[in-house]
Amino acid sequence: MNPSVATLQDQIIVGPSARMHGVFEFLRVIATSESTVLVTGESGTGKEITARLIHESSRRKHHPFVAVSCALFTETLIESELFGHERGAFTGAIKDRPGRFELAEGGTIFLDDIDDVPLSMQVKLLRVLQNRTVERLGGTRTVPVNVRVIAGTKRDLKQMVGEGKFREDLFYRLNVLPLALPPLRERREDIPVLMETFIGRYFRRRGEEPPAISDVVRQAFMRYNWPGNVRELENACERIAQTCTCGTVRVGCMAASILIRAGAQPPVPAPGESVAPAAPIAASRPDAPISLDDRLREVEANLIAWALKVSKGNKSRAAELLQIKRSTLGDRIKHCGLDRPAVLPSDAVAEAAAV
Amino acid sequence: MVTKERVEAVLDRVRPFLQADGGDIVLVDVRGNSAEVRLTGMCAGCPSALMTLHLGVEAALREDIAEFETLRLC
Repeated sequence: MNPSVATLQDQIIVGPSARMHGVFEFLRVIATSESTVLVTGESGTGKEITARLIHESSRRKHHPFVAVSCALFTETLIESELFGHERGAFTGAIKDRPGRFELAEGGTIFLDDIDDVPLSMQVKLLRVLQNRTVERLGGTRTVPVNVRVIAGTKRDLKQMVGEGKFREDLFYRLNVLPLALPPLRERREDIPVLMETFIGRYFRRRGEEPPAISDVVRQAFMRYNWPGNVRELENACERIAQTCTCGTVRVGCMAASILIRAGAQPPVPAPGESVAPAAPIAASRPDAPISLDDRLREVEANLIAWALKVSKGNKSRAAELLQIKRSTLGDRIKHCGLDRPAVLPSDAVAEAAAV
Repeated sequence: MVTKERVEAVLDRVRPFLQADGGDIVLVDVRGNSAEVRLTGMCAGCPSALMTLHLGVEAALREDIAEFETLRLC
């Protein structure tokens, strides 16, 4: 087996979430494709690993995979990095140097942080993608390149197009096969598997068997929002493996910032935001049963509490915000037990969050 | 002003986790703009826990109470 595939497989941890299974299914469908892929996902969701996986499953796998972050370079440097330069093109260009496109010949180039490419550079990139040729900086020769392009972005490119920050033509050129990686907080059911795997890995790396993990630690992991996604979770596990001294992973081993945020009242979701329940989820094992009805009620209560808070307790306005009838809202409030007279809007938030 | 109540409110955010794991964080004293706490139970003897909880809880106190100065462990 190709060793790079082995390490890659090692990096891919499959949890039970339907969201990620959907991603893997889609990857299988596009494995043999030659088309450009646009990978969208927050920091730490695994854009580069996904790009490598696409490359390794493609016919190009025996050719180079070149990853480059477009955020790392200034406007002039990025051109020389991507397309190369000839000797004397600029001060310090003491010899000819091929760009990343040429280095990826026959293989795949992963252009991460594509949203950071300045507008002036976007035109040049578009031309390369259309003509499949590059011109080195300071050169006159046109070099044909046979490279599959995968682009990565943290931001919504479509929205950037609307704001005039990203060229529409380049967006369509890149967005042939769109792939969205969900943030970890939208697939919390994968957290236990990720946690076990990373903790196991980092303890074994120290030559130790992984110790037991307390239920409280598991709950804190489930409640925390993981803004840095899988990368942050992996770092938290590495830290635990480096600092745990008592043979059981307890809350004391965890970064206190995670504990404090997990223990704070869960944020009330704003409209359009995920309504994934941030309240305690007592799933201590990946296969522990979860009551769908209870979880749905939790989501409902969170949203109602949010609407009541925003409308300062005005139920007609709250019903409008939730796009339901005023009478329906009344029923739902009763259903969620938010109708006790002492419950003021701000308390309703806390009540709902504590469900 | 830094009061026991305000400090307790911040400690209450980590306390449920600590208690559920066989430990606790006890507020011993508030003096001026600083406070003194004691870690008890399972994690009390662990240098890593002392370090992370000390730093983390102190940061949370400073975030919530603008005038908070230092957290001491005893």
